[in-house]
Amino acid sequence: MNQPPRLADRLLNWFCAPHLREEVLGDLHERYALRVERVGEARARWRYWREVLAYVRPSMIRRQPTDNEYSIHFLLGPDMLRNYFKIAFRNFWQNKSFSAINILGLALGLTCSLLIFLWVRDELSVDRYHANGPQLYRLMERKFSDGKRTAGPGTPWPISMELPKKFPEVVRAAGFAWGGSLTFSVNNKVNKEKGNWAGADWFKMFSVPLVAGTPETALKTPNSLAISRKLAENYFDSPQAAIGKAIQIDHNEAYQVTAVFENLPQNTNDQYDFLLPWVDFEKRNGWAKDWGNQGPRTFLQLRPDTDLAAFQAKIKNFLWGYNKEIDPKNLASYNIELFIQPFEDVYLHSETENGEIAGGRIGYVRLFSIVAVFILLIACINFMNLATARSAKRAKEVGIRKVVGAERSRLIAQFIGEAMLLTFIAVVVALLLIALLLPGFNELTGKAIAMPFGELNFVLALVGIVAITGILAGSYPALFLSSLQPVRVLKGALKFRPGATRFRQGLVVVQFVISMLLIIGTFVVYRQVNFIQTTNLGFDRENLIYIPLEGGLSKKYTVLKQELMTMPGIQSISHMDMKPTFIAQSTGDADWTGKDPTIKIQFSHTGVGYDMEKVLKTRLLAGRDFSRAYATDSAAYIINEQAARRIGYKNPIGQSLTFWGKQGTIIGVVQDFHFQSLHDPIQPLIIRLNETDLYGNLLIRTQPGQTKEALASLEAICKQLNPTSPFTYFFADQEYQNMYKSEQVVGELVNYFAFLAIFIACLGLFGLASFTAEQRTKEIGVRKVLGASVFSIVGLLSNDFLKLVVVAIVIASPLAWYAMTKWLQGFAYKEELSWWIFALAGLLAIVIALLTVSFQSVKAALMNPVKSLRSE
Amino acid sequence: MRRSDLGEFEEVVLLAVAALSPKAYSVVIAEELERETGNSVSTGAVHAALQRLEQKGYVSSFLGEATAERGGRRKRLFTVSALGGRILQDVRAVRNRLWERIDSHLLLDWQ
Repeated sequence: MNQPPRLADRLLNWFCAPHLREEVLGDLHERYALRVERVGEARARWRYWREVLAYVRPSMIRRQPTDNEYSIHFLLGPDMLRNYFKIAFRNFWQNKSFSAINILGLALGLTCSLLIFLWVRDELSVDRYHANGPQLYRLMERKFSDGKRTAGPGTPWPISMELPKKFPEVVRAAGFAWGGSLTFSVNNKVNKEKGNWAGADWFKMFSVPLVAGTPETALKTPNSLAISRKLAENYFDSPQAAIGKAIQIDHNEAYQVTAVFENLPQNTNDQYDFLLPWVDFEKRNGWAKDWGNQGPRTFLQLRPDTDLAAFQAKIKNFLWGYNKEIDPKNLASYNIELFIQPFEDVYLHSETENGEIAGGRIGYVRLFSIVAVFILLIACINFMNLATARSAKRAKEVGIRKVVGAERSRLIAQFIGEAMLLTFIAVVVALLLIALLLPGFNELTGKAIAMPFGELNFVLALVGIVAITGILAGSYPALFLSSLQPVRVLKGALKFRPGATRFRQGLVVVQFVISMLLIIGTFVVYRQVNFIQTTNLGFDRENLIYIPLEGGLSKKYTVLKQELMTMPGIQSISHMDMKPTFIAQSTGDADWTGKDPTIKIQFSHTGVGYDMEKVLKTRLLAGRDFSRAYATDSAAYIINEQAARRIGYKNPIGQSLTFWGKQGTIIGVVQDFHFQSLHDPIQPLIIRLNETDLYGNLLIRTQPGQTKEALASLEAICKQLNPTSPFTYFFADQEYQNMYKSEQVVGELVNYFAFLAIFIACLGLFGLASFTAEQRTKEIGVRKVLGASVFSIVGLLSNDFLKLVVVAIVIASPLAWYAMTKWLQGFAYKEELSWWIFALAGLLAIVIALLTVSFQSVKAALMNPVKSLRSE
Repeated sequence: MRRSDLGEFEEVVLLAVAALSPKAYSVVIAEELERETGNSVSTGAVHAALQRLEQKGYVSSFLGEATAERGGRRKRLFTVSALGGRILQDVRAVRNRLWERIDSHLLLDWQ
């Protein structure tokens, strides 16, 4: 008897609801038989297909809802859930050490990652609170001179007033200086306050709410002054009372409080407690009017519909005609282009390289985000490893569950659920840990981070972490265990395929690769920070004190020096316009015989007093220091090696040098010393004598070991000569350290993270080792009976793990080399990488791994074989 | 008039169930309708209509005996329920009343 098309039947069986299949197929077959008789087989088959397709309709496809007592509802019912929880907790309890390792590892990993998450979140929020934020830009200058391209935020002082007039796109513009601290006095209260100078539209551009006063008048008149709520409350008790009151600044001119602004949020990059009007900046800095200077910063607010590319092109050559130094016919030798950078990017992308914006803190944000993910990954791997290792014990349970009808999806849900439960516990532990650690973390990073529980995003992030970690950590055991064949499991024939072991080994390798990366990172960062701290700067920064020259001090310098020299603890005294660790000003205005007129070289420069050599302890390579014995020294210059090289005199001593239009002679060449950050190469430097218009800092070399006496002497003299200003001083070495604060913080953080990473990885290794030892109890017993020594058994057990660590070292070394070379590229002066760092890190990893593993393997090897073999 | 939920095809199928009772099932109904109308009728369409009628309560069904040509599968037999019978009568009454009101001359014209 001929049959209807098989394929059609199969198709029908596939789509048709099971409870209808019998009658439908019966009908189809019966009619097929009728048709074969009537029209022949070929046409009947053809009709059969059409008949089958006629059944493709929802009522035939929809499956019958089942609602008998063994239905799906039952599987999610309270009884089943209770059972899941009970089994989960029994398992945790039965394997206390494993559970503890799991939870501890995860909690540590989470603590670390969450702290980083909080830090990153805080970093990303800096300066992002302004309503006009997206329209705010920072004006930048790109300078071409001396064959180099450099970029920086310093702009001519008048430009913020000029741009809105020339470009319709610029809604507002405000200048912003580099800040400074001034002495405020109101009645008897005298304090140093930190503030800045800002353009008149400042409060209209930036969302700094005014408690009193209006944005229009806040910085309008030359003597106006805007202060923070903190200052207002400090000097006048309340913001309202402060309005209209006078504050004397630097014991000189009085300013009238025109506005009180709300204290700046902590996530503000440029903190200031007061703002002075823009005209005041010009009054204090005579040079400001000159368009040739790169002075304060300029911020722009552009119309929202501005075409940025077109605007960039328009302002590019704006300075031509304003800056007389730029010769449009000879741009190759000197040119300055303008461009803009979004204000909200400034904090994280503050560094420039070769005239372009080139990262900055964003690098650390990215680095730590990666570290956070890595550490969390290590913790997750632990979890997976321990869970898979123990799966042999859970396999029977899975077998039973499957036999009584558990579906695979339920088992997967059960294991992932268990993982999530553990993760949840770990999160709670982690949150407690963070609450404990946060104050210290804030101190280290200089932030004021609080746990943002009120924020939906944070809570969502926590939930997300639990979910992702749970799924990630629970996935392998869940998928592996749920795939087991119940028949084989219950027969007791559970054998791990080599794949499972390989997978576990792979995970251990990944863990140790990450740990190795962090260990090497720690070494390199530590060495670099150490290098920075111990490197010979070319001057002696120990026992060196700065005192800002202010108030009456600068006028009474001669008296001050004479008196101080007789006081205890003081070795020598001089002064400098800048700080020896940071000479920031530079100029191209220097001339000498034989100078190539097409080349403009930027010289750093500073004015100093007599005895500079003695105070700084720099080394003169040739010539002499400034001396009162020579009347001509007011037109004499000391240059550094770099400058000597650039100027090109064979024997520079006695040769002529014109600086700022003043012709003089070079009297000395000083050995290069680091007067700027170690990130940058040493620049050519010209030192001139300045004994007439003193500003900057008083530099005092104290007698070694007599800092206390020296400070007492200094305070006494300063109080006497400058009674109105509070006595302030800085230690050169501390100032120097502060310049590398971020490197130190990074060094310290990487230190902690590396320790944590290796600790968590070892926790996992410890767990795995104890598992292996437990699994091989019988084998070890037999070996011992046959005469194996303890040593050989320890070797046997440790070998497997050591191999993995060695593989990890081989993989991690080139990665670490690449990453650390990149990091060190940011330093012009650095401790080069060398092979022994990698060797040491590798050795460390091996030793740590060996110690971790051998604890278990020695225990296993020492066991009495009678005990392990008796039980069968 | 609560028969608005009875479609034309459903009505024909319901009538066929009544006519073939008590041995009405998809295959014979489809065959019968094919013979009566001359159009091809698939068992799938009939089956679906029967499902709808059953849902509405106009027919009831039970599984009958298996036969060889069905490959040993049982068939689902349908009978018209009391409600279904009443509905059919209502429909018929409406039609009859309307037919009777048609002018006899017009009827002659059609023939």
